[in-house]
Amino acid sequence: MLDRRNCLTASLAVLAAAAGSGLTSSGARAQAGEKATAFVQQTGDKLVSVVNGTMSTPDKRRALTQIIEASVDVDSVARFCLGRFWRTASVDQQKRFVNAFHEVLVTNISSKLGEYQGVKLTVQHARMQDDDAIVTTTVERPNNPQTTVDWVIEQPTTNPKIVDVLAEGTSLRLTQRQDYASYLTRNNNDVDALINAMKQQTAQNG
Amino acid sequence: MRAASRPHPLSRFEFLVAAAILAGGLAGCATPPPASDPEALADFRQTNDPLEPTNRVFYKIDDTLDTVLLKPAAEAYRYVLPDTVRTGIHNVLNNLGGPVRLTNDTLQGKPARAGDTMMRVLINTTAGLVGIFDVAKDVGYPDHDNDFGLTLANWGVPEGPFLYLPVLGPSGPRDATGFGVDIAIDPFTWVGNGRIGYHIASWSKTAIAALDTRSRLLDAITSVKKTALDPYATFRSLYRQNRAGKLETLQADNRATIPIWWPQGKTSSATTQSQSQTTR
Repeated sequence: MLDRRNCLTASLAVLAAAAGSGLTSSGARAQAGEKATAFVQQTGDKLVSVVNGTMSTPDKRRALTQIIEASVDVDSVARFCLGRFWRTASVDQQKRFVNAFHEVLVTNISSKLGEYQGVKLTVQHARMQDDDAIVTTTVERPNNPQTTVDWVIEQPTTNPKIVDVLAEGTSLRLTQRQDYASYLTRNNNDVDALINAMKQQTAQNG
Repeated sequence: MRAASRPHPLSRFEFLVAAAILAGGLAGCATPPPASDPEALADFRQTNDPLEPTNRVFYKIDDTLDTVLLKPAAEAYRYVLPDTVRTGIHNVLNNLGGPVRLTNDTLQGKPARAGDTMMRVLINTTAGLVGIFDVAKDVGYPDHDNDFGLTLANWGVPEGPFLYLPVLGPSGPRDATGFGVDIAIDPFTWVGNGRIGYHIASWSKTAIAALDTRSRLLDAITSVKKTALDPYATFRSLYRQNRAGKLETLQADNRATIPIWWPQGKTSSATTQSQSQTTR
């Protein structure tokens, strides 16, 4: 009898401990999700107010640059986009590539200012994927069908930064990586050629 | 041969089959990177585009046709018709796709999705005035895409090498097959076939659908062409990701179909109970 009771107490304790740890981790995850949601809401509001604002285009571009540099982990996205070529590139090339990438990102986003005029962003919900939080939003803009946009947020509790944007399930950074990979394969894997092409592109669209 | 026994204009299906055969005849192959560069080789296999040179030729042809024909037409379509009219047209076309979607939902063994599609067709055809208004969405039957390419994917058929088809654009053996099957299982392919009015209606529907799709993608395609260093590779990547995303969404949708009058969630509580009993 006694043995059985002890056994029961022990197993109850184990169960309680398991339940407790389960609760704290799910609590932490919920908190991370909430923080990521707040972060996306905040960043989204800033972006929308710039896009729909009355500033001049150069001023808008400046404001966008600030928001992007503050909310996106551009360096990490750049490294991801160079893919396998990152390791074979020289330190100098890596540096020039990352710099060019900052420019490309800002230019690409600024070039969409016109078509996003009148945009509305609604934050829906958040979920965790490993250590990243994924915040789902819907984007509505005139003349275009409504799209679902997911924002991938790294370190949601400590230092939230955007590392990827998924438009209708297509990852922006993965698409960019495959674009660069194809360009490099067709240009003798020459990272300098890629950097030049990127600079040319920013000069054209900027 | 069929044309001899049936003196009618080329149907859409026959036209597309002819185009695909033409594409096959002009095939050229990409050279894989040497085995000494395993990373490049892995990349090449992952990209899975052995017909890249041929695909790029068709991309170029399609792109030119698009620039001179489809894009200006889509721009005019968007310019001339107000937003509400275009949405109405889009909804009607979407509603006409109901039977094909329903068949695929069923073949995929997704009863809740099949139910959504069924209710959407019933509600939108009647209350939505032959589909002009998407009433069903507002009463809890959201829209979803589906096609036989996705059905094959759900059955485990891999996407296969990338194909850029004339007129149809990005595809692959699985999705191109699915496209053909979808036309074959579409009742609108067969109802009234053989009459001249049918051909007019069928081609008009194809043309309007092309304008509808292209006009909805105007900004997206322009932006890809402007920002991509290699638009072909970017479209390839976007197409593949889009298909993978749709497959993931449909596979994750395992909603049960419990009738409204049945005690909801009874099955789950029953399992919990039996589990706690075994633990005891």
